[in-house]
Amino acid sequence: MTALAQALTSIRHRPGRAFLTALGTALGIGTIVALLAVSAGATQTAGQFIHLGRSELGLFQKDAADPTTSVLPESLITRLRRQPWVSDTMGLQLLVNKVPADPAAIVFGAKPNSFELERMVFTSGHALTTANPNQIVIGDELAPQLHAHVGDVLSVGHRHLRVVGIYHLGVTEQDSGAFVPLSTAQAISGHLGEVTSIVVKLAPGTRSSTAQRLIKQRYPGLLVIGDADEALRAGANGELIANVTNVIVVLALLIGAIGVMNTMLMSVVERRSEFALRSAVGWSGTQIAGLVLTEGLVVSILGAAIGIVIGSIGAILLVHALGAAAFVSPNVTGWVLGRALLIGILIGVLGGIYPAWRAAHVSPARALAQQ
Amino acid sequence: MEPTTSTGGSKFAASGLVSADTGPLAPGARVVVDHVSRRFGHSEVLHDVSLVVAPGEMVALTGPSGAGKTTLLQLIGSLDRPTSGRIFVDQVSVGELTRPADFRRNAVGFVFQLHHLLPALTVRQNVELPMVAAHVHRRERAERAVGLLADVGLADRSDDLPSDLSGGERQRVAIARALANHPRLVLADEPTGALDSVASHNVWELLSKLRDRFGTTIIAASHDTTLAEHADRSLRMLDGRMIATAQEAELPVAERGE
Repeated sequence: MTALAQALTSIRHRPGRAFLTALGTALGIGTIVALLAVSAGATQTAGQFIHLGRSELGLFQKDAADPTTSVLPESLITRLRRQPWVSDTMGLQLLVNKVPADPAAIVFGAKPNSFELERMVFTSGHALTTANPNQIVIGDELAPQLHAHVGDVLSVGHRHLRVVGIYHLGVTEQDSGAFVPLSTAQAISGHLGEVTSIVVKLAPGTRSSTAQRLIKQRYPGLLVIGDADEALRAGANGELIANVTNVIVVLALLIGAIGVMNTMLMSVVERRSEFALRSAVGWSGTQIAGLVLTEGLVVSILGAAIGIVIGSIGAILLVHALGAAAFVSPNVTGWVLGRALLIGILIGVLGGIYPAWRAAHVSPARALAQQ
Repeated sequence: MEPTTSTGGSKFAASGLVSADTGPLAPGARVVVDHVSRRFGHSEVLHDVSLVVAPGEMVALTGPSGAGKTTLLQLIGSLDRPTSGRIFVDQVSVGELTRPADFRRNAVGFVFQLHHLLPALTVRQNVELPMVAAHVHRRERAERAVGLLADVGLADRSDDLPSDLSGGERQRVAIARALANHPRLVLADEPTGALDSVASHNVWELLSKLRDRFGTTIIAASHDTTLAEHADRSLRMLDGRMIATAQEAELPVAERGE
């Protein structure tokens, strides 16, 4: 029998204890998987958000709690557009929690002639016009949820807006949301002459890094985001999520390792005569330690596997509980699974080292004599 | 009785006494215990014990509890180290080994009073344990274990768990396990202590027969007076000291290492 087969046999001999230990590890890893999956989903969302209309950069107010609370002067849009390295700009006013029928839906305020709105494909009705501020176009994923059709009236904030079109952009967050004229969004949010964000399309041949450096030099109060990871870290809330995830990873490692160590130590104490016997028949300390470590590893990897299932389900429940299901889809990537497995292995190794050392140093003479 | 000192594998195979799967065992080891003492704190468990066992000899250690029989076997088997004196198994000074597990794996087989079979493993897997330590290939392990179980009369019980066996059968499995790596020396500590008289007789018969067949040196400790009937020599211990017997005196001076 290999060490792995012997470890599996030992675990099968005490299935209840092994399962409970694995479950303890699973809860820790499940929490990590859920947070990482939500975080990965949020990164994906942020990536789609800053690349609205295939733009390269997203500009926000520096030190805002999160990108949705950013406030920038609308006049900056025109100043930026004059730069030779800028191809086009678009001001966006975000309205969050303003649709009573679906609080998770984001309403984007933008000028009707801006580049993002020109990409819209309308499945019914037409685009926003400059003629009437009390109009709204809604995404084809939001429309069925609201049972809304062209001609219906939809409440956003305290304004009643008429649905003039239903569009498809191919970006979940925008197809699950709606667009209104920028002036209407500013009126609803109370930020007249201001926008939440400015998205920038660069002139052909301009490097994103160069543009970022130029903008930061000229407008030090701006946060310039060029990729999704930066977007997620942009606000204090994103930073908080990242820190909470790190803290939970460390806690899960500690608690999981202590759990595995406790179980393995109990097992070593109970099985002193077994280790003494193995030593007496010629097993070296390394071989005995390897057996104990393998058992710890198998239990923690089993815990990691259960944790991945719990975490994947937990992530979906978490975004629903936070009311973020419409714009954040948990993303259980290979990297998320890899990290969970790595943490499981670390738990097994850390938790198994001391019990393995104890087992390797059982005195066969004493342990067998005590029997 | 002349100790068996067979040395060649072909002899065993030709005798038909060793199954092809089991293979030949190494010749028995010569054991020299030279003025050995063992102290635990202020308590001296062994006091200046000397002993010589010839290759292939079966020696019985008798004496009451606390006489030091188990301690002496543990010292010979490198499970413990003497406080003073030296022990040689062939040319190896076992008290000075840096890797005693290697020595135990290759040279010694233990049989204990409690069989110490692992309850989660099958009978065959228990017999394979020393071979796992020796990195014997899986197929060879299985073949050798089945052969050894046949030698102890348990060929049809290899897939059973120890809990399915009687006390005597478990002890026979323990004997098969002790022989797994072809040891030159088998140390049996009260192997019949937990058995009834019939099972005890069978275990002694088996050890004696295996010694005759394989030429392995056997040192067995027991309260059981019937052990002496099966052994070449019986040595009595009392209060950590060796008490010479008439049988011991029969051993040539050269063999005693005096």
